[in-house]
Amino acid sequence: MSRKSEISKFEKSRMWLFFLMSLMVLTFFLLDIILGSVKIPFKATLQIIFNNYTGPEEWKVIILDFRVPRVITALLAGAALSLSGLQMQTVFRNPLAGPYVLGISAGASLGVAILVMGFSSVLLTGTVGKAGNWALVIAATLGSGLILMLILAVSIRIQDVMTILILGILFGSVATALVGVMQYFSSESMLKSFIVWTMGSLGNVSHDQLGILSITVIAGIIISFGSVKILNTMLLGENYARTLGLNVKSVRVIVFISTSILAGSVTAFCGPIGFIGIVVPHLARLLFRTADHKILLPGSFLIGVIFMITSDIMSQLPGYDQILPINSITALMGIPVIIWIILRRKEITPLS
Amino acid sequence: METESLVIGFRKSNRSPYVLFTDISVKAGKGELIAIIGQNGIGKSTLIKTLVRLLKPLSGKILVGGTPINDYSRTEFSRLVGYVSTEIIKVGNLTVTDMVSFGRFPYTNWLGRITNKDTEIILSALEMVGLQNLRHKNIAELSDGERQRAMIARSVAQDTEILILDEPTAFLDLPNRHDVLHLLGDLARKHSKTIIFSTHDLSLVINEADKIWMMTETGMFQGTPEDMALNNSFDRLFPHSAATFDIESGRFLFPPEFHRPLKLIGEGKVLFWTCKALERKGFLVNESDKTDIIIHAFEENGKFIWKLTKNDVVEEFNSICELLQKVDF
Repeated sequence: MSRKSEISKFEKSRMWLFFLMSLMVLTFFLLDIILGSVKIPFKATLQIIFNNYTGPEEWKVIILDFRVPRVITALLAGAALSLSGLQMQTVFRNPLAGPYVLGISAGASLGVAILVMGFSSVLLTGTVGKAGNWALVIAATLGSGLILMLILAVSIRIQDVMTILILGILFGSVATALVGVMQYFSSESMLKSFIVWTMGSLGNVSHDQLGILSITVIAGIIISFGSVKILNTMLLGENYARTLGLNVKSVRVIVFISTSILAGSVTAFCGPIGFIGIVVPHLARLLFRTADHKILLPGSFLIGVIFMITSDIMSQLPGYDQILPINSITALMGIPVIIWIILRRKEITPLS
Repeated sequence: METESLVIGFRKSNRSPYVLFTDISVKAGKGELIAIIGQNGIGKSTLIKTLVRLLKPLSGKILVGGTPINDYSRTEFSRLVGYVSTEIIKVGNLTVTDMVSFGRFPYTNWLGRITNKDTEIILSALEMVGLQNLRHKNIAELSDGERQRAMIARSVAQDTEILILDEPTAFLDLPNRHDVLHLLGDLARKHSKTIIFSTHDLSLVINEADKIWMMTETGMFQGTPEDMALNNSFDRLFPHSAATFDIESGRFLFPPEFHRPLKLIGEGKVLFWTCKALERKGFLVNESDKTDIIIHAFEENGKFIWKLTKNDVVEEFNSICELLQKVDF
């Protein structure tokens, strides 16, 4: 009996889970568009989205210029940060790795800070056109790439997971300190726009920026889905991966590029958003009960999107005018999950 | 697989290489089970890592099928030589089947798709190591012996001619050591694989291995365990230790503190085990007639009885333990 029916039963429940999650993504996606400080009827919202609307013009502006780009940004950011977290956890064989904890986001901040404070604070407002936006993405990706490279160099020499983690935090702190020094020497207006940026925001992304973000995130996602096999093999550690015929150096470079692009470009436009990268892959392992990246990658993608859009809905405090910084929401939602995972040590599935 | 004046060690940038062992010229034939023995730190692991291409040799050659191993591409080499390390893999949510299917990596496409043929190979590998009933269990929940067999199944699924294992019997209890060694022997003989493994279990190796590569401070020796026993080669293994290899019993002995002769009379298994116990206690059994201690060991009505005659006093015992307590004094 067996083997076949057992497996198909297993896969059936997974298919259901995927289906359910896709449904949740769709629901929360719509919910995020409908909810907000200005009340717009559900029917009008749908009409606006499907382009046969004849009501007040400002509703149309609110939906199409603010809410839709915002929820798409949330979708991209959630997917990108989760996938980069999953890949980092696998390659570092470290259950607590993630773009934020390892200082990758801080590196991106440094790149952005050098660009913004060295050149112009206008860059952050998204009104400087395509070239400026690309400059922002490239600066952030290079910044995150720099920190990632340092951590990779260390992780070749040092195997201990905790040491690497602490060094990652230290590298991140150095980046943050450098940003602090630069802040000290910058003008008030630059300072303000930069500090607002560091709080993280999904709402300040312009149409141009959204286009660039889509391109980079989709590129990163394609690279990571193409790395299914090598990510699986890296679960066994480098020595086994090499004796199975894997070119570990090039694997490192590929994963390095895709995580830098994913985490870097999101950070460039939304600011450093924490904890999604660590938490989501664990939730995916918990729900799907597998170590196979064929399932973990799409799983983390969906959970990340749900997590991020939910955070966005919560940050808008439906019914109020204020919008809370997204970084605080993800921290408040994510840290309890991490604590819960650490306390139930059994569930923090070891990766080495 | 064979090596020609191989030198192993570590190469650190800007510094002269650290040489661990020189002039290794050994040969492993098809269907042979080969044990690498030697003291801790002599370079067994380094040799193994060099053989599987994880480390570069400092000089010399390693040939597989007459071709230097560096002439093979990564994938070609991974279809020729399999490796099991000492590392304990504890990935969560990874089933035994998942673990074994990693062995198919060199054969699958870029997505790692497992075909029906791959599934068959994986299942037969699981059967070979006797894990078919545990195949859905998580690797982290296995016992040490089961996990080691899962790792071996993974390399069986890799379908290589040569299989190289670093201390496959470490961390295992005695029955599991026997099992694993027996499994390796089966793989070598029935599936005509070349199997090379390092170990500290000399007494097991002497019974199971076809050939021994012995790494000593005076160089590398190779041969069948029997030849090595007859040549007294094993004494070179522990130059700084008091242990010596006893050619008669095939065991390693520590020289006794004192030699007291005694006479032991009996037959069969009771004689064998009594003799073993007395030798451990430092008695010279049946080597000299000048003794006033005589022990009769025999079986009567399904019970073992030991009769000790010492200074013309006769005592009877029901176990070796009781006998030993009295015979000493």
